[in-house]
Amino acid sequence: MKKSLLAALAAATALGCLPVAAEDLITSDRVGPSDAPKKMVFRLTGDGPSSTDPTWAAGYSKLYTQFINNHPGWQLELQMMTGDISQEQARMLEQAKAGHAPDCAAVDSFVLPLFKQAGVLKSLSPYFKKEEIDQLFPFVREGVTGKDGQIYAWWWSTDLRVLYRNKEIVPNEPVTWADTKAAGLKSVEAGMEGILFNGSRYEGTAFDWLGNFWGQGGKLVDDAGKPIFADAANRDKFVKAVNYYRDLVESGAAPKRVTTIGNYDDLNAAAVAGTTALFVGGNWQLRQLQNSMDPEEFAKWTFSMLPGITADQRSTGTGGWTVAAFSSDPEKVEMCAALAREIYMGPANALQEQLPTRADLYDKYDVFKSEANQTFAKALKVGQARPGVLIYPEISNQIQIMMGKVLTGAAATDAAVDDAYKASLDAYARL
Amino acid sequence: MSARAMSSRLPFVGAAGRHNRVPSPYPWLMPVILVMGLFYLYPVIDVFRYAFTDLTLLGGEGHYTLSTFANVLTRPELQQIVWVTFIFTAGSVIGQQLLGLAMALVVVRSENRHLFGTTILRTTALIAWVVPGIAGGIIWKMLFNEAPFGGLNSLLRFAGMAPVQWLSDPDVVMWSVVLSNIWRGTAFSMVVMYAALKAIDPSLYEAAEVDGANGRQRLFFVTLPQLRPAILVNMILITIQTLNTFDAIISLTGGGPGRATEVLSLYTFNVVFRNYDLAAGSVLSILMLIISLGLALVYASFLPKEEKA
Amino acid sequence: MKLSTRDRLGDILSYAFMAVMFVFFSWPLIWLLSMALRTRKEVFLGVARLIPKYPTLENFTMVLTSSQFPVYLINALKLSCLSAVGCLIIAAPAAYAFSRFDFKGKGAWMLGILAFQMISPLVIMVPLYRYMSRLGLIDSHFGTVMVYIALGVPMVTWLLKGYMDGIPKSLDEAALIDGCNRLSVFIRIILPLSTPGVASAFIITVIAGWSQFLVPFLLITKDSLVPIGVGIFQYAGTQNASTIQVLAAACLISVVPAIIAFLALQRLILSAMTAGAVKG
Repeated sequence: MKKSLLAALAAATALGCLPVAAEDLITSDRVGPSDAPKKMVFRLTGDGPSSTDPTWAAGYSKLYTQFINNHPGWQLELQMMTGDISQEQARMLEQAKAGHAPDCAAVDSFVLPLFKQAGVLKSLSPYFKKEEIDQLFPFVREGVTGKDGQIYAWWWSTDLRVLYRNKEIVPNEPVTWADTKAAGLKSVEAGMEGILFNGSRYEGTAFDWLGNFWGQGGKLVDDAGKPIFADAANRDKFVKAVNYYRDLVESGAAPKRVTTIGNYDDLNAAAVAGTTALFVGGNWQLRQLQNSMDPEEFAKWTFSMLPGITADQRSTGTGGWTVAAFSSDPEKVEMCAALAREIYMGPANALQEQLPTRADLYDKYDVFKSEANQTFAKALKVGQARPGVLIYPEISNQIQIMMGKVLTGAAATDAAVDDAYKASLDAYARL
Repeated sequence: MSARAMSSRLPFVGAAGRHNRVPSPYPWLMPVILVMGLFYLYPVIDVFRYAFTDLTLLGGEGHYTLSTFANVLTRPELQQIVWVTFIFTAGSVIGQQLLGLAMALVVVRSENRHLFGTTILRTTALIAWVVPGIAGGIIWKMLFNEAPFGGLNSLLRFAGMAPVQWLSDPDVVMWSVVLSNIWRGTAFSMVVMYAALKAIDPSLYEAAEVDGANGRQRLFFVTLPQLRPAILVNMILITIQTLNTFDAIISLTGGGPGRATEVLSLYTFNVVFRNYDLAAGSVLSILMLIISLGLALVYASFLPKEEKA
Repeated sequence: MKLSTRDRLGDILSYAFMAVMFVFFSWPLIWLLSMALRTRKEVFLGVARLIPKYPTLENFTMVLTSSQFPVYLINALKLSCLSAVGCLIIAAPAAYAFSRFDFKGKGAWMLGILAFQMISPLVIMVPLYRYMSRLGLIDSHFGTVMVYIALGVPMVTWLLKGYMDGIPKSLDEAALIDGCNRLSVFIRIILPLSTPGVASAFIITVIAGWSQFLVPFLLITKDSLVPIGVGIFQYAGTQNASTIQVLAAACLISVVPAIIAFLALQRLILSAMTAGAVKG
């Protein structure tokens, strides 16, 4: 064991050393010549040159090289972000207040309101044309716009949730909750685990499920940002949506282990391993399934909009990433806007097949003309973003706790919902 | 010549030496005081200050108030979280202490008898210990994975046994988490116990042998009494470590399902990083401090009293 | 050498115990290794493919080339070793004082130091960040090491004090009568006799430093300064990045340098222990 590890270590070190001969324009934490006089610090996610997918890494490296060649005299310092989004974003907020924020950074769309409220972002309005802003989907435009009408970030990609299925086992699209349960039970008869979804303490648990609540017209918060998801008007819808999941588990249409799933990769894993025929996942997983399955196996898979309580009450959560500027140097803010425009607004969407936020981009790039991406674009029309309010992370946390209690049978649905509601209201009162 | 032999030859120097000079301890303590004071004390004081405010991470100066204490201490979930913390800590500490002691005893015995395999065992346990907390959580998540291809369930199926709901059954999950924590932490206790065993005066065993004590008697009348201070100090240290553990749990269960494995430290983390509630987090960390301090005092009361000059 | 039945029975029990313990401690690591050597296709075949049919080192090369893993490892080694040395230098005199001197409020001092250990680094982190940023110690290995030291000192002080308690006081006193001062007693007699305690305290702090997560996560933002505890988390990273087999390789790699360092140290520790016994 030790020998092979050492061999791997040695091989890797050797590989890592070879290309250093000429100065690289791109290293893991720098883009552009290291002696360039102007420097912008950009903090990013895996959506960049150090993506762990080799194709994407190469594609981004090319985009970044082009970008830096278009802006002589500049270099970018890249900082990587970890995967725990709420923790990461809380840290960045704290850094911004201490004046240590990066000049420019990727900000998750659902925490954007925190940053807007804290007043740490710089306006990007001067650098984007009104027509470009008007092309943004409404929920996106609302998300980036501040109280003063200026835009404070460029939201470049969006995603949504769909129901994936293996056509061999579940030939017909489940349209309603009842269909879904029947399909799940049928897949169990065929030796599968049943329908899978995120159900542990994880943001995706709340987010993936919320479409079931929103589809019925439910609302999480009122205009002032106060939680109302279990008030007189919404409680019934909320309870119904929770009971839908509860029933899936109790009837055996979903396995008990859904309460341990807290990662989209777990869903991919089960699909690739051939232990499930149905799961609730994100649009980006289509490409991941394709990458990890044999073509004939992948051909059996398809997806459809999330089912609703009735066929016409369907919805899905939509998220995505933005680029925002923190620097007090206007030149760097402009550079940040240029980065958002030249790398992310369009080219990055096409590279990763991440859904664009501008309607016109769907026609511009051929990848979005594929049948799958057209379907995603259609589903986006009933999409709903998480409410841009400060209390959302805690509402999500409470939904995750409630889901765990309900799906394991540790608490009655009504009691668990009431607990979650009360805790959210208490937290709201303290914000 | 052993240290003990030398000391027994100089029996009466002790009292005389001590009374003649009363050296000041402060020059010796200075480095600790400086480093802790410079790099740790100030933030600690801030935590106490924050507890009396309504500060959030979101900005604003906050106001001084006592309401945070009242609010936090009356939260309905707190009782369950303290209970979960208790189970997790007690399970981990008892498990690690017993296993660490047993391993140290067996390793020392086997070394004395030149048995094969002590180095391998010791090294394996130590490897488990150097695994960073987050990675530890990831590893055990792979093992406990309840999918048909999970690390333990596929083994059980292979052996023809029924799969276990390691993480999805609220009554089982805590023991799974404790198991993973024992796996990661036992090596610490083993190292401490091992060093302490090595430090026991061999002449005590020789004396016991002369008196005709058997193995069990030697264990109960020589080894364990000699180890008592080391065991208590070790218990204090691992209790504190366990109370502060959250990274392994966050990547293993995230505190779920529901709140079944949400210990106090993870709850504090969530309060600060999800609710952005700095003041409430500070109150919770003071609560943790009080619990640790209380436990440490309880342990310390079992320490042998030092003889007074 | 006489071998009684009792001894032989003891040996058998010892072997049985060690075997069980070995399985318990090694199974997760074996599983991890098995995962790390599998191709994407074999990952989901469970225990049936414990020894992969098509083993590959690709996952390891991927981890080591695609990100800054080697740099993370070196950073972690640097931070944890420096902080362990610093901890010992600072804690040893204090431990000596606690072990040997009688002074007013000794118990309170000791508990006070331990109380630092009890404050969860979690909540300290926000004020700590604000404080360190005022001192200009963000993105600095020096600042990070000092915080590691502050975190490690209480435990090391207690461990060393416990160890020094086991060294007979009459030894110091004999030396004092011979005309040595306290400092030379400490350096010439107590420290050499404490080698096993010092060695185990050193290992403990190195390993605690190795797996530090929160402190470097907050205090270090430059990727070239990040240690492995944070690096691996970044690697587990975004939703479209990780796959089980690569993550397994990353976890293994995160442990390997520590294992090598430990194996190298182990000989040193053992010899220190035996040397101490002979010299004493």
